[in-house]
Formats: sequence, structure tokens, C-alpha cells
Amino acid sequence: MNAIEVKNLKKSFGSFQAVKGVDIIAQQGEILSLLGPNGAGKSTTISMLSGLIAPSDGDAFIMGYSVTDQPKSAKEKLGVVPQDIALYPDLSARENLLFWGKMYDLRGSDLKQRVDEVLEMIGLTERQKDRVGKFSGGMKRRVNIAAALMHKPDVVIMDEPTVGIDPQSRRHILDNVKELNRQGMTVLYTTHYMEEAAELSDHIAIMDQGKIIAFGTHDELIKMVGEQTRIDLTFNAEVEAIIPAWKEIEGVSGIDASDGKVTALVDDSNQALPRLLEVAAQGGVRILSVDIKEPNLESVFLHLTGRALRD
Amino acid sequence: MKIMEIAIKDLTRSFRSLFAVGMTIVAPLLLIGLIFLAFGGAFNGASDLPAISVGIYNADILTDTSILVEPLGANIRSMFVDESVQSWITATDFSSEMSLRSALDRREIGVAILIPVDFSERFLAGNRDTQVLILSDHTLTIAPQVAQNMVTAMLDGVSGGGIAIETILERQKIQGVQPGPEQITSLIDRYSAWYRDFQRDLFHNPESAALMMVAPTGETSSENPIQQMLGLMMAGQMVFFAFFTGAYSMMSILEENEEGTLARMFTLPMSRTTILTGKFLAVFLMLVVQGIVLLIAAHFIFNIQWGDPKMIVLALLGQVVAAAGLGVLLISFVKTSRQAGPVMGGVLTALGMLGGLFTANMNMPEAFNRLAAFTPQGWVVRGWKIVLSGQPASDLLLPLLVMLVIGVVMFVIGAFRFQRRFA
Repeated sequence: MNAIEVKNLKKSFGSFQAVKGVDIIAQQGEILSLLGPNGAGKSTTISMLSGLIAPSDGDAFIMGYSVTDQPKSAKEKLGVVPQDIALYPDLSARENLLFWGKMYDLRGSDLKQRVDEVLEMIGLTERQKDRVGKFSGGMKRRVNIAAALMHKPDVVIMDEPTVGIDPQSRRHILDNVKELNRQGMTVLYTTHYMEEAAELSDHIAIMDQGKIIAFGTHDELIKMVGEQTRIDLTFNAEVEAIIPAWKEIEGVSGIDASDGKVTALVDDSNQALPRLLEVAAQGGVRILSVDIKEPNLESVFLHLTGRALRD
Repeated sequence: MKIMEIAIKDLTRSFRSLFAVGMTIVAPLLLIGLIFLAFGGAFNGASDLPAISVGIYNADILTDTSILVEPLGANIRSMFVDESVQSWITATDFSSEMSLRSALDRREIGVAILIPVDFSERFLAGNRDTQVLILSDHTLTIAPQVAQNMVTAMLDGVSGGGIAIETILERQKIQGVQPGPEQITSLIDRYSAWYRDFQRDLFHNPESAALMMVAPTGETSSENPIQQMLGLMMAGQMVFFAFFTGAYSMMSILEENEEGTLARMFTLPMSRTTILTGKFLAVFLMLVVQGIVLLIAAHFIFNIQWGDPKMIVLALLGQVVAAAGLGVLLISFVKTSRQAGPVMGGVLTALGMLGGLFTANMNMPEAFNRLAAFTPQGWVVRGWKIVLSGQPASDLLLPLLVMLVIGVVMFVIGAFRFQRRFA
């Protein structure tokens, strides 16, 4: 059985179509990352999956239950970690978890035991009696995740759970996601950090402007770029005026520029780099740095959209 | 079960908020406490004013030809030495005007009443020059006013009696009857006796007086007018803060919407109706807790006698339903918690003033009372006045019915708006 199955899901807000017919499948026990820039439609998609907003068209299934026709059954199988911290700051970590556990019908010793387990998992057993309002951003993020795991869901949806936190807490959260997956949970993980998607995912769906533009394993997606190399250049001035000239260079398949930073996807860096620099010199800008990289998900996005997937 | 869990969580959060506890419980008690202390209240409940110290020099005597049996000066004096006023007036007789004035100068007395020699005869003859002189310590305000009012009331009664007797005599004359001196003396005696009893009853036994007082006349409140006043003021403040609490508690739905916890709850396997019902239940519970705490605290701290427990329960029920209804309706029109503050403050204060919550212990013009009937607060405070005055339960039925109907209608409209907003 597919843990998550999304069929032609659409959502419009007035005349604006935020999600334009999305199809996704996640097998049980896998981590599927939904990767895309801000405004790609990721959060709208998972809002429909979690029952927050109704689709304009199409349907989605969680463990076989339709989110539109069987929302209660679908939600029982689902744990949702919202992008923003959604906790009660004036309650302690333990009180928060007790409340969310009760909302999933946990009671008595089962509830207490589960709270102890998740506190242990997120490493906050020692701070369980402190009010959440006093926690650091990273600690709040961890409690935010724990609240979604109280009922041991089959599927966990995490909406950018590492936004705005320190590297240590990010590491802790990524390790938690892997641990959950090892326990058999299916994870739908949305992010705009390609490193996280690359590290965690069994499959990655790249989303842009309300559509899934690529789907596959990390290696499958990289192969879409072929043998191309990514070159990051930094200049001392704006370079927008030079972009058309760069695009004319043979072997350059994608280029994106902003604030003096340029990302180019080229067939052969040895041939393309001198030409890129020559055109830049003719445009009157001075090179500050050059970085040649192996193809990655950023390259894939650039290849598919002609734009960089920036933070 | 989940409904109750949501409500309990909201209550827990409210009672951890210093602002909420302050506005719900502390502020009304503090306001009444200040007034209580201002009136010299003591924590044993004996909050009487200090006794008024009055000195009297009565030189009034009757001539042999007087139609009166007893001089008016003696009647005036008897009012101040009557045993029924001894708990709040200490009266002392003086043998001369000089000794009376000296006692006042030495502040042994607060008020001096000087009744001149032929006061009765001159007063009955309509001589405007004659007067009872009331002197007082210039630092006192209430005591001289009380003494003046008592003397004025007495003399007004005598004047009224004179008019009444003249009217009787005129009437008998028209009918061709010529009353003899014994008959006139008898009339005067009967009137004097009636008026003395009337005055006594009016001050000290109003339920049996021919003239009924409209102000609260319950057994307990009539024993202590300050307690009665505090009770009304406490009721006004309790109602004001109850409506504030209703709106403030409902505001938590806006805060949860902004905190993201409401959206998170919507991802849980339960209906949105369950979630909203839990929020509404929290408002009701908060109001019940607030009402009970304030009623008990006011009773034990300020010795306020609320009255019949069954009537109290009914009035509190009406208050809770009306305050919750207005709270839900009011907040349903507000988009954010930042908007809610000014809206709540403005609307509830205006409605509170119109409803007479700040003038609950005063006799206001009829037009104002009619205006109060257009506010839920006006009906709730009317209910508490009935309970405090010890009136029968049947008198409470109309205000209670209005409170419940207003509350339920507002609640239904507000709940419908929330359902639609979060659908």
C-alpha cells in the first residue's frame, strides 16, 4: 500500500492557482522530500494533505484513506509538524505533550509513557517541566516535532522543520527524522535546503510554481543534468545586463544571476569558463571568485527552470 | 472528553496569566476594597460610620395658652436621644447656650443644636425669623448634614400637620360644624403621635412605614446601609468584569489562531465543532469560577450578604450566559488579538456605563434606567439588585429570562460566525 498518494491535487485562491495538479506517491517506510523554492506551493500541498484546507480539485490518500471523504481516518494515521512553532508557550514541554496526546485519545499510563518516550527522543527530559516560552528556537522546534509523534502515526508530514535554527538543533532534528524512519514511519519532508533533501530522502519531488517538475531518487535526478558542471561566480557589480551574452556562449545550458552572484550550468568547464570571464570583462565587471562544483540538486533545479534554488 | 480537555487547557492558561487573573478576580475586589476602606470598613464586617456626637440646648417652653401638649423643641431633642439612633448618634443635653458653644469649641461634640426659648409659639405663628441654630465643627461634612436633615424633616412634618389641621377645620366650617378647643387639641395630638411614629418607622423600620422606600429594603441590608451600598457596588463591578472576562476568554481563539495552535488542532482527528465547543466551554467555566470566587470573597472580605442561595445561583446563571454570549459575539467581529483590546475596552465600558454598572448604588433618572434595559449588563445588574434586596424569586424571573434569551441569541450568532470563519 502507498503511504501517501496524491492525485491531480489542485488549489486556487481566487484567480491565483497555487497548486496546479500535483501527483505524488510515497511508499510505506520511505522519506520523501518535497523540494522547492519559497512560494513553490509546498506548504499549500501539505495543508491539503493534513486537512487544513480543502482541495479545489483532485484528492490525496493517507494510508488509503481519502483526505476529502474520510478525513478523520486519514488524520488518525497522520502526524503534522507545522512550519511555525505551534505550541502553548505558557505550558511546560510536558504539559504541551500531554495535551496533544489527549487530543489523539491517549490516556492514563499509555499517555505518560509516550510523553516520556518522545521527551527522551528529542533530548529534553531534563527540561520537561520548563515552560516552552523559555526555550531556545531549536528546543521549541524539537517539542514541535514531538507533539506530532504522540500517537505513533504511520505518516509524518514535516513542513520545513529546520527553518531558522542553529546547526546543532538542525543536526538533532535530521537525526530524529532518520530515527523515525527506522521505526517504520513514512516521512514527507518539505524543505528548500537541498542538502537536507539529499541527505534524508529515498525519493525527492522538486516543485516549482505549483507543479512537480521532477521526481526520483537523488541519483536519478542528478542524472537529469548529465555530465554538466556548475560554476558559481561572484563579481564586483550587477551583471544582469550581461546575461543575454552569457546565454549565447556554446555549452552553457542554464544561467541565473542576482546581486553580482552568477550560477552557470555548463557542459565543459574548461571551455566555458574562459568565455564567461571574457564576456564579463567586456561588460566592465571584475571577477571576485570562481567555484566549480559537481552537479547537485541545485544544478538540477537550475537545469529544469533556468533559475537557482536559493535559500 | 476532548471538549473538556480543551476547556481545561484554556482555563489553565488563563489562570497562569497575571493579566487575566488581575482583571478577572483582583481588580473588582480591589476597587470595592478601596471603597470599603474609605468608609472605615473593618475586616470583622463592622463597617459603620463613627457615631455623630450631638449637643442640644433646648430652651423651648410652651405658654399657658398653647394648643400644643409638648413643645416642638422637646420633639426635636427626642429625635436625637431616641434609643433607635443611639448606635450612630450620641446626644448630650446642655444647660446653657454658652456651655453648648464651649463644648463645640473644645470639640467634645461635633454638632451643636440650639433651640430658642419661644420656638414653638413663633414657629406655629408662621414667624420666619425664628430658627433652630445648628453649629458644627468645620472639619465635619456628613454629621451637620444629618442633623440638619433630621430637624428639617421634623419641622416639615409639623408644618404639614398645621396645613392638615387647617384643612380639616375649614372643611368642618363649610359643613357647619364648629370644633371645640378639645377637638382641636385632640387632632393635634393624634397628628403628632402619627408623625412621630411615621418618622421613627421611616428611619428604622421602613418595611412597616406607610411610605415604602424604593431602595433595597432586605432585612440584612436595612441593618447596615454601607453594607447595602457596597453590595450594589460590588454587584456592578462583578457584572462589569464578568463581561470583560467573557470577551477576554473568547479572545484566546484569536491568540491560538495567531500562535498556530488552532491550525494544528484542525489537523487532529476531530471535528472543528468539537474544537470550538471546547473553546466556548472554557468561557463559560471561566465565568462560573470568576462569579463564585467574587461572591465568596466579597462575602467574607466585605461582609456582603448576597441573599438567598437559590436566587444567587439564578442570577449567576443569567450573568454567565449573558457575558459569554456577548463575549462570543463581540470577538466574532474581531480579526486579531491586537484589535480585540480596544474593541473590548470601548464596547464593554460603554455598555457597562449605559447598563448602570457604575451607578448601581444610585437612584438614576427614569430615562437612564430605560436606556439600561437595552443592554445585557443592565438586566444582569437589575437581577443582582433584586437578589440583594431580598425580593421574591418571582421578581427575578423576568430579568433572568431576558438575560438568558439575550445571552443565547448572541452566543448563537457569534458561534455561527466562528463556524463560518474557520470552516
